[in-house]
Amino acid sequence: MSLVVIGSGPGGYVAAIKAAQLGQSVTIIEDTEVGGTCLNRGCIPTKALIASTSLLSKARELDKYGIDLNGTVSPNLEKIMARKDKIVSTQVKGIRGLFKSWGIKLLEGKGRLLEGKTVEVLLNDGSSISIEADNIIIATGSSPAHIPAFPVDGINVLTSDHALVLTEIPKSMVIVGAGVIGCEWAFIFRELGALVTVVEMLPRALATEDTEVSALIAREMKKKKIKLMTETSVSKVVVESDHIVTKLLNGPDVVAEKMLVSIGRAFNSTGLGLEEVGVKTGKSGEILVDEQMRTNIKGVYAVGDVTGGMLLAHTASAEGIIAARNICGQEVKMDYSCIPAAIFTSPEIASVGLRDFQVHEMGIKTRTGMFQYRALGKAHAIGEIVGFFKIIADEETDRVLGAHVVGSEASVVIHEAAVAIRNGLTSKDLARTIHAHPTLSEGLMEAAEDVHGEAIHLPKK
Amino acid sequence: MNPEGIKYHKEHTWARIEGSMATVGITDFAQEALGDIVYIELPELGASVTAGESMSDIESAKATSPVISPVTGTVKEVNSALEDEPEMINPDPYGKGWIVVVEITGQGDLLDAAAYDAFLKEESQ
Repeated sequence: MSLVVIGSGPGGYVAAIKAAQLGQSVTIIEDTEVGGTCLNRGCIPTKALIASTSLLSKARELDKYGIDLNGTVSPNLEKIMARKDKIVSTQVKGIRGLFKSWGIKLLEGKGRLLEGKTVEVLLNDGSSISIEADNIIIATGSSPAHIPAFPVDGINVLTSDHALVLTEIPKSMVIVGAGVIGCEWAFIFRELGALVTVVEMLPRALATEDTEVSALIAREMKKKKIKLMTETSVSKVVVESDHIVTKLLNGPDVVAEKMLVSIGRAFNSTGLGLEEVGVKTGKSGEILVDEQMRTNIKGVYAVGDVTGGMLLAHTASAEGIIAARNICGQEVKMDYSCIPAAIFTSPEIASVGLRDFQVHEMGIKTRTGMFQYRALGKAHAIGEIVGFFKIIADEETDRVLGAHVVGSEASVVIHEAAVAIRNGLTSKDLARTIHAHPTLSEGLMEAAEDVHGEAIHLPKK
Repeated sequence: MNPEGIKYHKEHTWARIEGSMATVGITDFAQEALGDIVYIELPELGASVTAGESMSDIESAKATSPVISPVTGTVKEVNSALEDEPEMINPDPYGKGWIVVVEITGQGDLLDAAAYDAFLKEESQ
């Protein structure tokens, strides 16, 4: 059986490898570089930058840790970017190596669906070929959304793609949109020394997170002197030669050297021949799929960002595996109820399961346990006392429904809560699991204990 | 032990009332209980504050706590030096560690120094 995968991001490449492992003959088509947005323009390069900026931030407080600095600490953007590029290229080579090892054929060009499960590939060298396959997976991802009101030129008005290749640190930056991307970049630019203003239309930053998470990150922005303006809309953007004037519907003008537009992602579903073949798309251009990742056309599957939804690399990978397994005759469905997510602001944010406003909307009766980082010995030892652990459990069954961690290593700490939710464990199960001391993970145990008012390191309520 | 001539709120804040203006801060007991102060979220100029309600949040090595306003009125001045050096509150809560100046329209149930001392003694028993 043969499979063609269009797109080699975390959805496509994982589907390709899984299908190859299950015995399919796989061809994967990529028009830019393997690894997709995640590896080339998203998760990995930004985390490489954040590694530099958080070290910079630590270096600025060396004195706090009892270390004398004989000299100064300053960011060298050229070197920071070079390090990031090297990390990306190493990872790209890794994926190419995996393809080779699993016998997956990589075609570099643009794929387009034709009738009868044929894919036409316009190769990057100008030639074109057609390949027939028993099944096709579309995994073409998403790109920064373009809205005409924001004249993105890649020089003054940027998307995250452009921010990743900046050669100079801007003195000031206005970021439109306080979602995950906007917030991560706000902290990156601030640590590098830029004056940052974030403009958000909604009442809070990171509006899809628990409200207490948004409140804490808003305060951390205030501490770092990142100006966050919520419930504020941009009415006009005026690009001058050396600065940008952002006119607001309800507030004074914001003047900054550059603008980063992070107001959403557009689905890469055009130019694929979807209409011609009859693959159904939704109103935003996302490809419509069922729980088995099947489109309405037999043998044509779609996974990842192009199907809309969560726009998370690990969701795309999970969907890729589901698609590959279904293609190979295993009947499996995607389960979206327990997908952890991490946001690499300073401090980190991680969440899994339900948020406070969701349980409220759903009318579920819950108990909440809360524990502060500053109540942990380890947090003091490493000098990271900001943040909290929060567990939401069902009042009746005590099952863990949601967990939210803001603080150092939150992205690591969250996973035991994911295991708990996935397996229907209770807050008491978490609380009675012995956690190693001294670790940050103890905080999640204490939060679980606090669900029933039993946290050892909290005063009597 | 607490200075005379200023008024105290049972939530461990103080007000030095001069005419229609009151300088507000946290008490020595509060700073001692909080430990090393690492951040204070200052109210905005022009913000309204209400006696008995939170006017800002203060973070220390041990806890994050609301600062309960001893007076009602409008914030006319904030001690912006605390933005960069919130730890100034610890050694000098009644002096350099003042938080805001409020133009007052009312005040909470405030104690004089002797009554506040007595209140603290009672609390500690």
